[in-house]
Amino acid sequence: MDHKKAEDAVADRRDFLKRSVVSVAAAGAVAVVGKAASASELEVPSGTGYRETEHVKAFYDTARF
Amino acid sequence: MNQSAAHSEQIAISEEDVLRADMYDFLASLLRTEPSDDLIEKVSELRGDDSLIGSACRTLAHLAKTIDNGLIRNEYVAMFIGVGRGEILPFASYYLTGFLNDRPLANLRAEMATIGIERVAGVKEPEDHIASLFDIMSGLIRGRFGAPASTAEQARFFRKHIEPWGSLLMRDIEAAKSVVFFAPVGTIGKAFLEIESTAFSMDGTG
Repeated sequence: MDHKKAEDAVADRRDFLKRSVVSVAAAGAVAVVGKAASASELEVPSGTGYRETEHVKAFYDTARF
Repeated sequence: MNQSAAHSEQIAISEEDVLRADMYDFLASLLRTEPSDDLIEKVSELRGDDSLIGSACRTLAHLAKTIDNGLIRNEYVAMFIGVGRGEILPFASYYLTGFLNDRPLANLRAEMATIGIERVAGVKEPEDHIASLFDIMSGLIRGRFGAPASTAEQARFFRKHIEPWGSLLMRDIEAAKSVVFFAPVGTIGKAFLEIESTAFSMDGTG
């Protein structure tokens, strides 16, 4: 896909989102609700890079490649 | 791919993408656990325009104001927890294969490891709960796990782990026997997931 078409596609997507989501007048209140919730249950472990977490080990154990 | 948060640049996230992340956080907050008094109070302050999502927000606000908070929490339990199981099992694996803890969960765990995220200690539920998946989408958009994910990366995750079943779940929530408060949550969820699908298909890189 050439550069101009890619730019147009991005612009189309943004316009579509602006019409669909941004126009919801409750958008500001939606953000307030999201922040009032209990904490997300995800975390980024302090080490960087790929880590052999328990789940990864379990996945490879059961996958039997 | 997994960059330490301290080194990721301050990439500006567009207004539309911030609002998408807000919508994911909003839906996750309502589906994750029994709503707290504080959460219900914030929901009661929602306003909306005449769009499908806007009017469902107004309905939800009205229900938050008029239904007793304890009954709203009872409804959550009946819908999603029950005794042994709730009316609804909001897990990707269950919707995709008919079984909990099946292949789709294994795929998700591998992907989470690649992204570099884990569940905090002590969470009992499997990772493919819809609220967790919405948390991941929000985190990818905002750059919680490193640099903000590109639209193509977000689309890949969305199409693999959410799109095949998310709307079916939202329809089931709307139609559940116990539903009152959570019906407009299902309506909002279904409408938003359709917007996401359409928007991703418009992006040339996806």
